[in-house]
Amino acid sequence: MKKLYIYFGLILFTALTLVSCDNQIEEPEVLAYSPPSIDALGGTWKTYVLSSASEVTVPEPTASTSNEYKAELASTKSKAGSLSASEKESVKYWGAGAVYRWNEIARELAAKYNLPPASNAEGKYPVPDAANPLADPKFPFANPPYTSRALSYLSVAQYDALVSAWHYKFKYNRKSASQNDPNISSLLPVTNLPSYPSEEAVVASASYTILLAMFPGEGPYLEQKLAEAQKVGFLAGKNVESDVKAGVDLGKAVAAKVMARAKTDGMSASNNQSVTAGMIENAKKMGVKNPWISQETPLRPPMLPNFGSVATWNFDKATLVKIRPALPYLENTTEFEKDIDELKSIQKNQTREQARIANYWADGPSTYTPPGHWHRFAANSGFEAKYSEIRMARTLALVGTALMDAGVACWDTKYYYYTPRPQQFGLKTSVGLPNFPSYTSGHSTFSAAGATVLSYIFPEKAEQFNKYAQEASNSRVYGLIHYRIDCEMGLKHGKVIGDYAVARGKADGSQL
Amino acid sequence: MRRKLLLFCFLTLSVLRVSVGQMPHDAIYMGKNTACIAIMGEQSSWTKYWENSLKRENLNIGTLTVRSVMPMVAVGITKKLNVLVGVPYVKTEASAGNLLGQTGFQDLALWVKYKLIPAKTGFSLHAIGGVSTPITNYVPDFLPLSIGMGSRTATARILANYKTKMGLYATASTSYIARANVNVDRDAYFSSGQLHNTNEVVVPNAMDAAVRIGWLEKKWQAELNYESFNCLSGDYIRRNDMPYPTNKMSMSMAGAYVKFQPKNIGFNARISKVLNGQNVGQSTIYSLGLLYQLNNIIE
Repeated sequence: MKKLYIYFGLILFTALTLVSCDNQIEEPEVLAYSPPSIDALGGTWKTYVLSSASEVTVPEPTASTSNEYKAELASTKSKAGSLSASEKESVKYWGAGAVYRWNEIARELAAKYNLPPASNAEGKYPVPDAANPLADPKFPFANPPYTSRALSYLSVAQYDALVSAWHYKFKYNRKSASQNDPNISSLLPVTNLPSYPSEEAVVASASYTILLAMFPGEGPYLEQKLAEAQKVGFLAGKNVESDVKAGVDLGKAVAAKVMARAKTDGMSASNNQSVTAGMIENAKKMGVKNPWISQETPLRPPMLPNFGSVATWNFDKATLVKIRPALPYLENTTEFEKDIDELKSIQKNQTREQARIANYWADGPSTYTPPGHWHRFAANSGFEAKYSEIRMARTLALVGTALMDAGVACWDTKYYYYTPRPQQFGLKTSVGLPNFPSYTSGHSTFSAAGATVLSYIFPEKAEQFNKYAQEASNSRVYGLIHYRIDCEMGLKHGKVIGDYAVARGKADGSQL
Repeated sequence: MRRKLLLFCFLTLSVLRVSVGQMPHDAIYMGKNTACIAIMGEQSSWTKYWENSLKRENLNIGTLTVRSVMPMVAVGITKKLNVLVGVPYVKTEASAGNLLGQTGFQDLALWVKYKLIPAKTGFSLHAIGGVSTPITNYVPDFLPLSIGMGSRTATARILANYKTKMGLYATASTSYIARANVNVDRDAYFSSGQLHNTNEVVVPNAMDAAVRIGWLEKKWQAELNYESFNCLSGDYIRRNDMPYPTNKMSMSMAGAYVKFQPKNIGFNARISKVLNGQNVGQSTIYSLGLLYQLNNIIE
């Protein structure tokens, strides 16, 4: 009997150990590195919104022999030698890279705000209000088009601000604090990159300005991030205070110019629901018998039906129309029946692997959406390749603009043809059904655009990226919400869109 | 030790001749060398649920129904020590909208029940331990359509019982339920105000408590019960978001239970309703079981 007691105890103990009830999760640590190249000619690279790297003026700094500078150096030295634990933690966190971290923050905000409004008692869906961002429903509803745009403006502002910063860094050539005073030991890797203006501060204030405009309910959170991020170079012993101030001013001024473009890019009319009647009429004329209709109860107005009119980055409106995929076939054709049959067969016998692929790429509500997923791949690849801040920003700007272009062009296509979802023919879904027309697949378009740009920047990983794009595309068939043709044509479209960003990258003066 | 474990397995897996009147939450034991096999059918459904603390319906789900069939075996190792094993086959379905229902075998559960303070009548005290583990690779985070949450669990329960000579009884129990983290198909998810860039998801640990009053005699058992379940940590469903395994789910539930087992063959039936909750559906649960008792399983 006593033995049984012991066995019982042992079994319970083993069980509890197996379950390991610490309820913690560990994410890989991301630490600072020294880039193999500081990209000294970055100040000559082609900007997106700025007419030139010197469009915003950065005043000449005091000479390193001046008393003012010496006083600043003493201040850096004293601060760097007396960091609190939380300041050290902050240096470690931001040391992973200013562009890298702000991109990560933006993806987190996208996930946070990616929730469709709930219907109210009258059976209507209130529209999120930018003037009252924290009311229900919260502003914004960071759906895929919204997120593609928010991330593209963030990346463009970071890139333009850094090109300008690089221009002034090498123009004024002020060494970093720890190089001017060997007694300052920097907490971050020291390179020969001149420190005026501070790149961390430039990126912080540019990112803050864009993200506050895109996520206006996040003021206090973003202010705290800005306060922390801008002084990282100072805390780490790289910057003196005037490096930081010049960086903050430059980042803010560049971001304001980028936001001026954002305000006039047509986004404010992207949710114009009055355009849909004409679109449906047009689709019917083309032979679409059952135009798309919301499958939600109550009927939800389609997501941003006029997003296809928003300004693109890497090609013009005539090109947008020219590259719009043709609709290869309509309902009630043999080809269409074949696509439907494939979905019916998957619905009956979906394999676990098909479900896994559908889930992995779903990127639905409460996620950073497919554009966020591709930004993550881009940022992680730049990190692994130890890119300088400016090269990281260039990478994300090329990818980010391609992704927004993909969003605009895909939305243009979707609402041009207004085709029905498979759910209008009785199919279910294992991932959730987006509320807009079927043809072409957004995931396929985004993913091919992202993979095309990333394959140009990281040719050694091209195979992987193309495999990802194909898998992301397939995932929408496996999840039962797209016909095969939506995905195939979306991939082709996305590749063409990505190629425009690649052409820009090849001609931006970086020689990369 | 190993031999004894093997014996456990043998007894529980090779269902020679068996009976169940007992559950992991009662003070009923199988006699030595007796067993009970049971097949339990259950239907749980809800139309309203608590999104955080907001009680609402969802016209794109309609009524969510979870049906399961669970074969179960209870074995009397000794008159003080019983083992129970069961594994449900689960099917989920939404009456509205287009979310695809899921089906499959869910989690295998093994329970061990031990009389710490035995008593035929009067006060008795029992230690109960349980473990469960998913036996299929089902999708754990397609809630509320997932068939389970995919977490390995271990439960430690203490149960006190008082029974009169006439067969009236009162039972009180409480448990600590440790639940392991799960891996999901996706590589990032938003929870507790943060984006987690990993496929590992915390499923919060929980505690439960129950009180039962009833009447038990040779053939009949009838009971009223009140149960509560509370996650000890976790996040809350956000406005118009879907539930997630990280949620701090909690509920209280009232129910009734009857068993009738005149000889070897018997039946049990249960009805329960969730009274209040957070981050859960307001389920109504019906179950029906067919029991078969076997004596002298080891000759």
